[in-house]
Order: sequence, then structure tokens, then C-alpha cells
Amino acid sequence: METTLDIFIKSIFSENMIFAYFLGMCSYLAVSKTVKTAVGLGAAVVFVLVVTVPLNWLLENYLLKAGALEWLNPAWKEIDLSFISFIMFIAVVASVVQLVEMIVEKFSPALYGALGIFLPLIAVNCSILGGALFMQERQYSTFLDVTAFSLGSGIGWAIAIILIAGIREKIRYSKIPAPLKGLGITFIITGLMGMAFMSFSGIKYVDEVKKEKPKNSESSSSKTNELSTSKSSKQ
Amino acid sequence: MSENLAKIKAPSESLFSKKNRKLLIEPLTNNNPVTVQVLGICSALAITVKMDTALVMGLSVIFVTAAGNYVISALRNIMPPRIRIIVQLVVAAALVIIVNEILKAYLPDISEQLSVFVGLIITNCIIMGRFEAYAMANKPWPSFLDGIGNGAGYAILLLIVAFVRELLGSGSLFGVKILGSAVPGEETGLYTMGYVNNNLIILPPMALIIVGIIIWVQRAKNTSLQEEN
Amino acid sequence: MDKESNAYTIIFATIMVVVVGGLLAFLAISLKERQDANGEIKKKMEVLSALLSPEEMMKVSRENAEAEYEKYITGGVVIDVNGKVIADGEKGKDAAFQTNIQAQYKDKNIAVNKRTYPMFTAKKEGKTLYIIPIVGMGLWGPIWGNVCIAEDKSSIAGASFGHKGETPGLGAEISLGFFIDRWVKGDEKITDENGDYQKFDVVKDGTGGQTTKIDGISGGTITSEGVEEMMNRCLVPYTVYFKTL
Repeated sequence: METTLDIFIKSIFSENMIFAYFLGMCSYLAVSKTVKTAVGLGAAVVFVLVVTVPLNWLLENYLLKAGALEWLNPAWKEIDLSFISFIMFIAVVASVVQLVEMIVEKFSPALYGALGIFLPLIAVNCSILGGALFMQERQYSTFLDVTAFSLGSGIGWAIAIILIAGIREKIRYSKIPAPLKGLGITFIITGLMGMAFMSFSGIKYVDEVKKEKPKNSESSSSKTNELSTSKSSKQ
Repeated sequence: MSENLAKIKAPSESLFSKKNRKLLIEPLTNNNPVTVQVLGICSALAITVKMDTALVMGLSVIFVTAAGNYVISALRNIMPPRIRIIVQLVVAAALVIIVNEILKAYLPDISEQLSVFVGLIITNCIIMGRFEAYAMANKPWPSFLDGIGNGAGYAILLLIVAFVRELLGSGSLFGVKILGSAVPGEETGLYTMGYVNNNLIILPPMALIIVGIIIWVQRAKNTSLQEEN
Repeated sequence: MDKESNAYTIIFATIMVVVVGGLLAFLAISLKERQDANGEIKKKMEVLSALLSPEEMMKVSRENAEAEYEKYITGGVVIDVNGKVIADGEKGKDAAFQTNIQAQYKDKNIAVNKRTYPMFTAKKEGKTLYIIPIVGMGLWGPIWGNVCIAEDKSSIAGASFGHKGETPGLGAEISLGFFIDRWVKGDEKITDENGDYQKFDVVKDGTGGQTTKIDGISGGTITSEGVEEMMNRCLVPYTVYFKTL
């Protein structure tokens, strides 16, 4: 069984939205020309993911899932509304983005200045709906897990776009074959970064089962795992 | 434009007039939604490990863009402008749900492999992009063709990437082992000569690199598409 | 009518919701039966894949899975963590089939000792065999399997493992024949001579030939360990149950 910390770390690194699932690539490619805008969009994605995924989780568990309506009326145990979950999720995403935009504009003009222009972009960012759909597919069972997952996914996405923006700022001074300029080289660099991120796979918070095992070879390997976990969580 | 529309009204040559053919063919090459317009990569690459998933995904997207374009175009004059985007989203989501339900019922194995990526067709920028840029301003039939064209441009790219990845990664196409059997101890075909499948190709990052190479090839041939930096 | 007016917008939205909702509900209801059947057939095929050899399994397809399942699987039981019977006899087969151990494993709201353990009994070539579904975690996501225990209620007679998305060529190889053979053909037993559970060890040093030791997959260590953990965790209650038979 995965611990909450496992879920968090995994969703940042080994199951990174960009590198492992290519979600939100459109805005990732379009808005990664300078680091400053990348930071803005990254922050907006983290924010919207953390709001919408747990919200969609509540919707899924108390409204849509087979038997989810039982809390209202035991007779409704058989009702399964999961077939409309796509529409519900996208509606939640779109309306939350709209609401957040209005609230931020009203109460924090400074934050609106920083995030404002990115918010409309986000409603159609695949990573947001992707977050909701992954939540549904993986059936996280507690609210804490879902929040950890959404925060981790958002941070992972933000890290990816900020890194690529940094690289693209520098790459302007490199000699790249003309046909590869712009889009082509960005794809290839993203691929190479994805390979680098794959080396984070298998990071695990050491759980009870592993600790019990008295094997020597095991304890050394789990130690390195522990080390890399603490290292990576610092990042 | 009005000239074009007039042509469409005349049924004899309307359906596949030159302009309509262009709607179909342009997006396949010089105006490819993925490699040129940079739309809709999101939901695409994770399902290109095998040809059959890529094909089903491509067909699903063609269906959604074509049918969606048709519906939006038919509704464009009665649609309240204020809830335009919501109507578009609802149409896209409803079509995707139809696709998903049908896949689950009739192609359960492929549906399982596609997992969340069918749902992500909703946020595929191609769909909303074509609704907004084409279907809102044109008649249903050209919109329908435009949808098929753009969906097919997307599907072709998926199939090219999947062809490379399945052939080099698993030694098969559509699940048929065309390079022989790679089972340890009982190799046949190419594998007897020491050939091994490239497992790296199956991992997600290689999909991006293959798309990068496709863009490279395309832009080397068609220099007008090249970017400044 | 004015397209900008509130009334028009609301009427349009209402009609849209009713039309779309009706259409989708109709579609979902008419396809539901088929979708559920697909899920059941898949589960039945997974159960059978532990019992039958790969050659026999080749002949089982979605079309005849139902009949093959009924042919081989004769009954089932559901037990709790202490090996106590929750359901058996007539109801056992259905109860075992309906128990979703993957959902239980994932759901943190169900305490570990409240999980239930289903088992199928099968008859093949006159022998009684026991098929036990198991579930665990690999490197990337869930892994699962079915283990077939022979008539002596100890030797592993067959197994099948599945995974959601382990690394191709490395962890993903747990589902391949050669890895399964290491469990099945190595005279592996789940109990010692007293009938107590004996732990399996997935090893890297090539000593997998010994009883209770299995060679892991090189490069797929974490997935192999996931299989080991899944076996050691899931099988224990059954050995307690077997003692009572």
C-alpha cells in the first residue's frame, strides 16, 4: 500500500505529468520561452490542480461513483452516474477557473497581475482534467492522498516547465539545424529530460514490510532508497 | 468565402470540390495540427506504444472533431454568444463520453490500455481550436470535412510514431510479431541473429524524441515552416 | 428572439442539458450490461490463467471464457484474515467472485485485518486445485496475480501475474512464462511440513533453485520484490484455512 508521502513524491518525479504522460504539452510548449512566464503558469497550474482535483474527488465519491449516492438514500445504492463524470469534471474545472479568476481579481490585484493572464489558458490545459481523471482511475481512498497527489502533480508540472524555459533561454545562443529550431528541439530536449526524470523511479518511503526483512542486501538497498527520498523531497 | 458557399449549395460538384478537398488534405501535411499548429499533443503520445491503440485513438479523435464540428456549425446561428464556450465544451465532452462508452462495451482491452487518455480528448486543443476557428464561421458540411481532415492529420502522426515504436520496441505491428519470436530460448526470425528489441523506444521520453525527428524531417523538406529561434 | 437575452440563454442551456443528458443516459444504460459482462469475463480469464497451461489458455477467448470457467471452477470460499470462513458452500463461488481484493487493497478506509480473502476451487483432470487471487504494488503501479495451489494444499501448481504499467523489458517481465516457471516448476511450497506458511524470498544471487527462493528479474528488482511481498502477505490466511480442512 502506498503511503501519502509515496504518492506525493511519485507524482512529482516518476509520474510527472509532462515527462511520463505528456499532459499539458500545449501550454508547456507555448509558454516556455522565458522563465518568468513559465513560473507564472507553473504557479497557476499548481493552484488550480490543488483546488479542482480534491473537489472532483468529493464529487466522484459522493455523487458519481457506483453506490456513491448511498449517503443520501440507501435505496439509491444501485445508481451509477460515472458515465457523466467527464462532463462533471470539465464543468468543475471551467467554473473553478472562472471563479478563481474573479476572486483573485477582486481581493488580490497583485496576485491577479501575476497569474491573471494564465488562468483562462488553464481551463483547457490537459494536466488539470488529466489530474481529475487519474484521480478517478487510481481510486485514492482518502482526502489527504488526493491532496498530496494534486499538489505533487502540480509541482511536477511547474518544475518541468520552469526547467525547459531555462534551457530554452540558453539555447537561443546555440547553433541548431534550421529545421529543428523552435518546436523540434524543444521536443527532443523534453524527451532527454524525461529520461533523466525516469531515474527517479522506484523512490519509495520505506514502509513496515521492508523494515521487517532481516536480509543484508535488502537493508542496504532500502537505505539508499531512503537517502534518495530525503534528497529528492528537499528539492 | 461566399463563392465557396455558393458552390457547396450546388450538389453536383459541391461535396468534394477543390476547396473542400483542400480542407481534407491540408491538415495531413503542411498544416498538420500537431507538427505545425502545435495542438493536441497532450493526450497523444502516451498511447503510441502500439499501433492498435494509436489507431483507435486516432479514429476516436476523427469522430469527435468531425461530429463536433458538424454539430457546432449547425448550432452556430442559434447559440447564445455568452455561453458559447460552455456549449462547445458540452458538445465535446458528450461526444467523448459516447466514444468512451462504446469502446468500453465493444473494445474492452483497448479501452483499458487507453485508460484516461480517451477522456483527455475533451481538452485536446485540436477539438476546441477547430470549433472556435472553423465551425463557428462555416457551414456544417465544410466544417465536417475540416474536422475529418484535422482529426486525420492527428491520427496519421500518431500512427507514424506508433509504427516506429511498436516495430523497434516490440518487433511487431498491430500485435503481429513480424520480426519473429523473441521468447528467450526459442527465438525465431531476426532474433536468431542476435537482434534484440529496443526497450528504450517503449518508454515515454522516446515518443517526444520521435515527434521531434518527424518535425525535423518535415521542416527540412518544407523550409517555409522553419522558425527563427 | 434576442439571442443575448437571459431568458434565451437559460432556455438554450436547459434544452441542451436535457438533450445531452438524455442521450448519454440512454447510451450508458443500454451499454451497461455489456460493459459489466466484459469486466466479469476478464476476471474469469485471469482466474483460469493460473489453472491452465499457456497452451490451454490460448484456446480460451472472450467468447468461450464463460463456459470454460463454469467447466473448471467448481466452488469457492471467502475467508477472513484469521482463516475463518465467511462464505462457502453454495454461496461461496459467487461470493469469491464478487470480492474485489484490488479495491480493498487500495482503500485505506478498510483496516488491513478487515480485508477478506477469496479462493476458488477447481477440478482439473480429476484433481482438486485451489486458485487464490493476490494483489500488490510494483514499481509504477498495481500488480496482481492468481496462484494455483495443488491438491496437497502446499505446492504451487500454476500462477499468472499481471501489471498495470511496469517497465517494459524489466519489471514487465513478471507476466512472462519464464518468471512464472520459477514459481511453478521449482517445487515451491507455501507451507512447511507442519502446515505453517513459509516465506518466499526473491533473491539476486542465483540461488533461486532452492525451495522458497526465487530468482528475481535483473533490472526489475522492485517489481520482483513487489511479487514477493504480494505472495507473502496474501497467502498466509489460506494456510491457516487449509489446516482446518
